[in-house]
Amino acid sequence: MPYTITDACSGCTACVRKCPVGAITGERKKVHKIDPDLCIECGVCGRICPVSGAILDQLGKPCTFVKPALWSKPVININDCMSCNICIDACPVGCISLSKGAGAGDNHGYPYLSDEKACIGCSFCAIECPVDAITMTAPKG
Amino acid sequence: MGKGYMGKILFVDLGKGTFKEETIPDEVYEKYLSGQGLGAYILYNRIPRDADPLGPDNILGFVSGLLTGTGSLFTGRWMVVGKSPITGGWGDSNCGGTLSPAIKRCGYDGIFITGISEKPVYLFIDNGKPEIRDAAHLWGKDTVETEEILIKEVGKKNTRVACIGPAGERLSLIAGISNDKGRIAARSGLGAVMGSKKLKAIVLSGAKRITPRNRDEMKRLSSKLNKIVQLKLPFPPGPITAYVGTLIGKMPTQMVQDGLLYKSLLQKWGTGSMNQMSIEMGDSPIKNWKGSNEDFGPKISKSTNPDVFKEREMVKYHCYSCPLGCGGICTMPGKYNGYEETHKPEYETVLVFGGLVMNKDADSIFYLNELMNRAGMDTISAGGSIAFAIECFENGILTKKDTDGLELSWGNTDAIVALAKKMIEREGIGDLLADGPKIAAEKIGKDSIKYAIQAGGQALPMHDGRNDPGFALHYSVEPTPGRHTIGAQLYYEMYQLWKKVKSLPRPKFIYHKDTKYVADEEKAVMAAACSKYNQLFNGAGLCLFGAFIGASRLPIFEWLNAATGWEKSPEEYMEIGERIQTLRQAFNIKHGVDPKGFKPSERALGRPPLDRGVNKGRSVDIEKMMADYWQAFGWDRETGKPTEDTMERLGLNQ
Repeated sequence: MPYTITDACSGCTACVRKCPVGAITGERKKVHKIDPDLCIECGVCGRICPVSGAILDQLGKPCTFVKPALWSKPVININDCMSCNICIDACPVGCISLSKGAGAGDNHGYPYLSDEKACIGCSFCAIECPVDAITMTAPKG
Repeated sequence: MGKGYMGKILFVDLGKGTFKEETIPDEVYEKYLSGQGLGAYILYNRIPRDADPLGPDNILGFVSGLLTGTGSLFTGRWMVVGKSPITGGWGDSNCGGTLSPAIKRCGYDGIFITGISEKPVYLFIDNGKPEIRDAAHLWGKDTVETEEILIKEVGKKNTRVACIGPAGERLSLIAGISNDKGRIAARSGLGAVMGSKKLKAIVLSGAKRITPRNRDEMKRLSSKLNKIVQLKLPFPPGPITAYVGTLIGKMPTQMVQDGLLYKSLLQKWGTGSMNQMSIEMGDSPIKNWKGSNEDFGPKISKSTNPDVFKEREMVKYHCYSCPLGCGGICTMPGKYNGYEETHKPEYETVLVFGGLVMNKDADSIFYLNELMNRAGMDTISAGGSIAFAIECFENGILTKKDTDGLELSWGNTDAIVALAKKMIEREGIGDLLADGPKIAAEKIGKDSIKYAIQAGGQALPMHDGRNDPGFALHYSVEPTPGRHTIGAQLYYEMYQLWKKVKSLPRPKFIYHKDTKYVADEEKAVMAAACSKYNQLFNGAGLCLFGAFIGASRLPIFEWLNAATGWEKSPEEYMEIGERIQTLRQAFNIKHGVDPKGFKPSERALGRPPLDRGVNKGRSVDIEKMMADYWQAFGWDRETGKPTEDTMERLGLNQ
């Protein structure tokens, strides 16, 4: 089930600008709409929406605004990581990159959060990591 | 609830400029899985019998694996399917890199292209919205340049590209399709099919979720496998591997091989771990298959020992979902600078541009590898063409007049590099050789066909059937001939299928090498099992090197059940593999291809046998082996045609 927008929407367009797949449309100050075929349930619309109850998640529960600075970010434990690139592919905004080689006898590249600002805190990287080497961690503050 | 596959395909008609999305019923996945199986299902039904492989009616399909993106490991292979311009029958090619999940992230299990565009174009799919765009500015660019320009042009970080280089544009029948700057789906000549459609690239930028039925179980299975993959064995320095090969070659008996050993070699060096060992064991053909290990001994081949390639490795290269990382990104050697980096040359490439043409210059192999990757040309076929040309030159069939002054002698590095460039440009003698050795021989005549070492027109890979007759058999009986990634006696041992499929025979732990050459029914059953398993794991998108780890350790059947929610037994999955293989064979029959015509060149069968070296006196009873294999598959043992009963049993008669 995709996310949905209710009549409480104020039409501020914050969600349109954040949606990584262009699933949200609507004119300014009018109720927006999510294309259910395009929605990937990343939840960023719900986190960015300033109006309580305007966006419902995939279970129909109202989403709550969270300051972007407090969104959870992936913390990658390279001791468990196998350099398989799955997290890089899973990221809908392309904010994880592969390093050039760890050095000190280890020439594997490891994933790292290369564009922290672009990260939408969707946790798809952590969900898809087959060996659970990624933990979503909220910044302190 | 997810089932691991997307349930949809996209059809693009380049002639009309139209798109059509199709929903694929669940029953189709249950019968054919995804990947090559889905491709065979679509192409068998929709390509007309008389379709010209380079004409508008041919369909080129890019397909992902059923397990790709589900949390399984080693399952990042994508496949390209179409009617092959080399054989006129079934064509497919299989590749790693990053494209496989990108197909699914766009919402499809496969993207199928038909028709011909009037002018060069590329297909761009942006989050499910397909668009055909002009590619005039890309035509003539190499694969690396094309990929870089396109990623910049579409301006999206998570963009993946598959493209042809100049070889595909020039309809070279040995052209492939590249992704990730030089990983190529190289065989079957499908780069020429893409070129014939004037399709320079497909550019995929999607973020759809790929959802397995039971992700926790997928993770549990993958974590358990990863613990095995990360076990590392200590190895001696690279040049010592040659002498290990010498020892194996000299022993009269052989032990069943466990893929864990090969896995560790791949982890340390990549496929190049076998560069020297294979020659010494008799696995690698030398001097266009007429030489032996004695002509290219350890002191000569030392220049291409595994360490030479590993030393240039800046960072390991892992395809999508691979915990092993056999690839590498290397610096280019000084003499051939101009390119910043290159993919580490693979075993096949090192040997075709090494021992097969008697070239001991490793730097030139790095360069030839990069040239071929950028041109989008199959290194195996290109090396086969060059070896053929050298032997023609040696025998006076080609002269300096024909070669624009090139002295085509064995091991003449500069001439080999110059000839490769001519093939890419289709210039002079290069034009003649750019469609592979068989077509070149047919044009040259003068009995030169005996120097064109191939099966069904496809140059043979660097695994010698005179050492392992299983290779010779699979070169001959596969619907796409001359392929080394399907089966062999060695592969049967490493697949360890008998541990999961109880009806399959367990090989003897130690056996005399002479027994390898006795064609019997048990070996036919083993070979058929290799083909079925290969089709099954291609449908899943699994890498051959994952399969080598052994079916008792690699949870392919368990992953498939956890991803789809099915409850199928290994036997039922093997039947899916059998169905795909039979449908590919039926495709050839439909298109008038005679399976007997895929028998490899006499020399590669040991006719006459070599008089020196580790394979001395060895020959392969290929006619009996082919007939036994066909019979084991329920195909007619005289003609190789699937019988009515078999088609009926597998539900292929509708």
